[in-house]
Amino acid sequence: MTSPSTPEAPWPVRTVARKVAEWIGRLGEVWVEGQVAQLSRRGAATVFLTLRDPAADLSVPVTCSRDVVDRPGLELAEGARVIVRARPDYYIARGSFSLRATEIRAVGLGELLARIERIRRLLAAEGLFDAARKRPLPFAPAVVGVVTGRDSAAERDVLVTARRRWPAVRFAVHHSLVQGPSAAASVIEGLQRLDRDPQVEVIVVARGGGSVEDLLPFSDEGLVRAIAACRTPVVTAVGHETDTTLVDHAADVRAATPTDAAHRVVPEIGEQRRLVDGLRARARHLLSARLEQQERWLEGVRSRPVLADPQRLLHGRADDVEQLRTRARRSLAHRLEGAERDLEHARARVAALSPAATLQRGYAVVQRADGSLVREPGQVADDERLSVRVAGGRLPVRVAREDGRP
Amino acid sequence: MVTESPDEQPTTTYEQAREELADVVRRLEAGGLTLEESLGLWERGEQLAELCRHWLDRARERLAAATPGDQSE
Repeated sequence: MTSPSTPEAPWPVRTVARKVAEWIGRLGEVWVEGQVAQLSRRGAATVFLTLRDPAADLSVPVTCSRDVVDRPGLELAEGARVIVRARPDYYIARGSFSLRATEIRAVGLGELLARIERIRRLLAAEGLFDAARKRPLPFAPAVVGVVTGRDSAAERDVLVTARRRWPAVRFAVHHSLVQGPSAAASVIEGLQRLDRDPQVEVIVVARGGGSVEDLLPFSDEGLVRAIAACRTPVVTAVGHETDTTLVDHAADVRAATPTDAAHRVVPEIGEQRRLVDGLRARARHLLSARLEQQERWLEGVRSRPVLADPQRLLHGRADDVEQLRTRARRSLAHRLEGAERDLEHARARVAALSPAATLQRGYAVVQRADGSLVREPGQVADDERLSVRVAGGRLPVRVAREDGRP
Repeated sequence: MVTESPDEQPTTTYEQAREELADVVRRLEAGGLTLEESLGLWERGEQLAELCRHWLDRARERLAAATPGDQSE
């Protein structure tokens, strides 16, 4: 038993070190699950690695002998999920802590997928994948944000395809790690930076195909939550068409490939131009047809007789006048003829009544000087001058009675 | 209908002129007018037809001006 330390009776360093080692050793053997963050095979006999907690920002150094790591079937690499049997170890000579592993097992693929499935159910139950949460993509975004690996085919596919469709589009590209233990955090950082940029109207998260392990970061719970929380619409294009990662559920649109993402994010300029031209042509035709209709109507109206041939108005009247004139003339002619006939009749009667015929027969008319007719011999005095009319003319005569005779 | 003198028509719309023209034709065809009335109506009709014609021609020009490229009709 060691007596407590005091300023007057301090412990030597070795004692403290020994006691700390004892304390740490009390934890005993534990099974630890974590992610291999760093792997160093320096030193023939001892392997050093860092075991990281995927959900917390901390890690622990692990040491083990080579044959633990070299066990057949164990593909130990950075980013691998492992289960480790270990004892906490305080290395007195250096004063450093590590977990001394006696066995390392890879978390099986089935186990990984089961974990992903558990996370999926959890997040779905929270409503993060609901259709109601999906935002519509902007029609022709001015700036498209892209989170992708540096010099990746995915980046090239997105940019080239989008520029071909809509030449005016601009990009804000954030390069991040897209596999390995730090990938999820890296993608989250890029996502959030682009989300904060008010010019970025839509974000594409893209990476090419890979193994299930390669795509693991894209089923990371933290990343899925970050996408769900993103205010800017997010399009995911991760892996090949058949790969589904959890981020695809949280995205507003899931694209099958980076090229497909470019199709979803910008419209195709040729197609839009055709649409607009088509509408313009329709509008023009409608207007032209309407004008044509009105022009035809106008022609029709103008060719109506009342407008085109106003002479008809006058002809009608002129005819009337002519007819009336003719009737008047005819009526007048009739009357004249009638009058002439009457005149003729009268003349005939006058002629008939005339004494000229009687005179022709040899009779004579005797008239006194005053013109009165002599009918009685006693009417006249002796020697009276009288006028005798015979057919051929007048004879002046004097009454010459012989004695005594009347 | 419209009784303004023929020289003050700058603001008549196409529809107004057209309606009046149709009415003039109706009345002329109905008949029963004095010679003076007929002549007056006919003159008004000619005037309105000219107005309509000018409006339609101008509309055609505007349509052609807006689409210099293709004139397929």
